[in-house]
Amino acid sequence: MADYQLIIIGGGLSGLAAGIRSARFGQKTLIVEQHSLPGGLNSYYYRQGYLLETGLHAMTNFAAQGNKHAPLNRLFRQLKLSRKKFITHEQLGSEVIFPQTSLRFSNDFTLLCEEIACQFPASIDQFRAMAAEIDAYNPFAEVPWQSARNFLHDRLADPLLEDMLLLPLMVYGNAEEYDMDLGQFAIMFRAVFLEGFFRPQGTIKDLIDMLLEQYSQFEGEIRFRTPVAEILKKENKVQGIRLENGEEITANAVLSTVGIPGTAKLSGWELDIDRYIGRMTFMESISMLPEPQLPPELSGRTILFYSLNDELKYHCPASALDPSWGVICFPDNFQDLATEDKTATQVRVTNAANYSLWQQAAVDKEQYRQLKEKCGQQSAAAVSQILGPYNQDAVFQDSFTPMTIERFTEKRGGAVYGSPIKIKSGRTPFENLFIAGTDQGYLGIVGAMLSGVTVVNQHLLG
Amino acid sequence: MTRDEIRDIILEIIEDIDEDAEFDDLDADQPLRDQLDLDSMDFLDIVMELRKRYKLQIPEEDYPELATLTSCVNYLEPKLQDV
Repeated sequence: MADYQLIIIGGGLSGLAAGIRSARFGQKTLIVEQHSLPGGLNSYYYRQGYLLETGLHAMTNFAAQGNKHAPLNRLFRQLKLSRKKFITHEQLGSEVIFPQTSLRFSNDFTLLCEEIACQFPASIDQFRAMAAEIDAYNPFAEVPWQSARNFLHDRLADPLLEDMLLLPLMVYGNAEEYDMDLGQFAIMFRAVFLEGFFRPQGTIKDLIDMLLEQYSQFEGEIRFRTPVAEILKKENKVQGIRLENGEEITANAVLSTVGIPGTAKLSGWELDIDRYIGRMTFMESISMLPEPQLPPELSGRTILFYSLNDELKYHCPASALDPSWGVICFPDNFQDLATEDKTATQVRVTNAANYSLWQQAAVDKEQYRQLKEKCGQQSAAAVSQILGPYNQDAVFQDSFTPMTIERFTEKRGGAVYGSPIKIKSGRTPFENLFIAGTDQGYLGIVGAMLSGVTVVNQHLLG
Repeated sequence: MTRDEIRDIILEIIEDIDEDAEFDDLDADQPLRDQLDLDSMDFLDIVMELRKRYKLQIPEEDYPELATLTSCVNYLEPKLQDV
């Protein structure tokens, strides 16, 4: 008999959700996580007395309690977690800013419609019809790749509006450059525009702790600081795993959440790995500002998506950083967040980066530090064009780069949204090895967890 | 198990799956899915819970037998008679 019915590689959100699902019905389940903290891309760290979140700007897929079919609430039922006790804070409102125009949106879809009616009066009827079409679309069907750009252009025929709508949807989930698969676009359109942004009460740590507690309630086991060296096989079947310390653990099935390239490396799965390594990676700078002086028309925004060009340049830049477009997030600007005890306001800026150039710089510690400093300044200069000189009196600044992302999340090339080619079935060439997480095609925090749930439901409750 | 006991077990399982479930106006002969606003993922949980509690294997082709409360009881009565 095997040591476990299921071994899950990776203690990120998809792995934890898969673990809960498996353990809930009495399967003997083990999660192995290489780091000392769970959460993967959505984790946290402590610096100068601040708990800083690594991935979270906002959660997407907001749904009020009681809306039973909404992804968020289905997820909670599947994990047997109480949605009633899960306190959420909705966004105040966000904005897409281009040189000539801007569009505000919130969790009330009518605001975006009003903005489009005002800024793009010729396109509003087509936009409404398109939103209804997306709402009815099944993004999880296994169909060939279709261009979201063509879909948008056929319906709206206004390149500026198309790019403005694509910016938030791409930057929060698209692993491909330039264009996006229609299914992924539909998932993101619903998650961001139809459902919307929120934060859980507290920090990402509270959410992760809730998942860990539920997992241990169901007697699931988790080991930290436990890197896997190999997925053991006999012919076409997986037998278990060998850890880096040499220990072998057997299992009836293995679920890998370390991405397609990582899974291929561990299992000897032969594929053209380069096609599965995404090129979209980012640098993020966090500033803590004691008294931020923001333009009044932009204060109280939750997230600003900006482009200083008329056209959206969603691709890997030729230089280390492309500050000409990006995301500015104010994690304190959500409804009903207690701000009295906050000594400083947090601003997070995210820009596209070039992994290869960061990798070259990282061979030399000083060269890497200088590049980080230079790119941080470039980013701040670009953002100042939107916000004014916002970070001059910052009490604290920190940033992470494609190299940080790769080191801590097991995402090759620092590609936060994983492979541009997804495997929706969760299957691999080995009959009892499956994948879940970003590379299965669900997006965002809620999506990652639903991916873990879905793959376990489909393949691993036998 | 008696028919009433089986009925109570089913309702208890549904209540456990869905904290918002309301049974006040439940019609035992109408589909549970529509009345309680449940989806296929929730039905999988009913099946898994029965398996966990009573070692009962319900093959996928039998899932339609679980459509209404009455059909659940009819289907489960012979299977749970010795429990």
